[in-house]
Amino acid sequence: MAESKRKRLSLFDLISDYMEDFLSEEMGRTFAERPSWDTKSCCIEPLCSVFVAADEVVVTADLPNTNPDTIMVEQVGKDTLEIKAEMKRKVSFEEFGITHRKGEFSFFRCQTRIPVAVVAKRMKTQFKRGILEVHLPRKKGIKIKVE
Amino acid sequence: MTSLSEPVRIVERKSIPSNATMLHGLPDVGLVGLIATSHMITQLKMGEIAYVDSELLPPVVVLHEGLPYAPLRIFGDGGFVATLSEAAIPAKAVQPIMRKLVEWGQAKNVRLMVSMGGMPVQDRQDIAEPKVYGAASNQALLKTLSDKGVEILKGGFMVGPYALIMRYCAERKVPAIALLAQSFYNYPDPEAAAAAIKEFSKVTGLNIDVSKLVKGGEEIRLRARDMMRRTEQELNRMKKTQEYDLPLYV
Repeated sequence: MAESKRKRLSLFDLISDYMEDFLSEEMGRTFAERPSWDTKSCCIEPLCSVFVAADEVVVTADLPNTNPDTIMVEQVGKDTLEIKAEMKRKVSFEEFGITHRKGEFSFFRCQTRIPVAVVAKRMKTQFKRGILEVHLPRKKGIKIKVE
Repeated sequence: MTSLSEPVRIVERKSIPSNATMLHGLPDVGLVGLIATSHMITQLKMGEIAYVDSELLPPVVVLHEGLPYAPLRIFGDGGFVATLSEAAIPAKAVQPIMRKLVEWGQAKNVRLMVSMGGMPVQDRQDIAEPKVYGAASNQALLKTLSDKGVEILKGGFMVGPYALIMRYCAERKVPAIALLAQSFYNYPDPEAAAAAIKEFSKVTGLNIDVSKLVKGGEEIRLRARDMMRRTEQELNRMKKTQEYDLPLYV
């Protein structure tokens, strides 16, 4: 059967596959995967993403079951943003059908790296449909006149 | 007949309904299809009828009430069968698995394949009612969608499992539609899933109550975080962001 035969790969495909596997392994070695929760601090790590636009960096985080008044956004260190929020109600492993672990969670907490220089003092935030949006204006570079 | 040497096998556990509508609940943007199909499986009280076995899938079993199950299973009852994956499908496995699902569906005389999914949009949080766009494997189905008031996805790219289902269905002349709701890219989106189901109801006339999806949305988002995280990694490997690209027509 032609369809079940392994597709013949080009040299570029093989190199690309090798690099992908290599990088994935290296990343795994450098940053061991950890759970998205921490029972000691009662925190769950929210889903979070960073988008770098021409004039600002937009950080978003999915914070369901959150009381918006408790959300705190803080710059920690030179290039890291920390987001913390309290949940409207505690959640436990048992609610997720997990009975072999014990723990309750009351907070969301995550830290994310900002890849370019920003003016954290001028940060603006909004919270809509359970999504936190943080807008950080980018630091202006040096203007060069093109002759 | 399936052979053990095949890269993807579908193991049937019960008799498979013939002439059914086949729904696909596969991990993709916003987990829209997965959430929508999971909701429909519950609403229509479908039970497990088959599962997908493949060496291309990670060595994972899902435990329910202490018993092991394959993460990629097929449910069914009456006029419906539905695929549902409880684990992210590795990018490298998507092609052979989608091809097998379409082949299997065709062998079981599926009358229509339905992929409910998401279409990532920027500023999704500003959209109260996500719009749903339709695509189909042939011109007649496209007209049916249009006649039922579904806005047609006229141009652009589709990437991922639903793209392949559509392509293989078109190749094999299996009737297929996709209903894609505006959604978050990497955040679980139960509201988009509800919108896709409403559009499915409009097309098929089968009314499905989506109030649980809307009211319980925050709970679903909380539960689906880890699945979304792993799915996003695979979507990046599939170059899913190509859906934002402008196609070159000359």
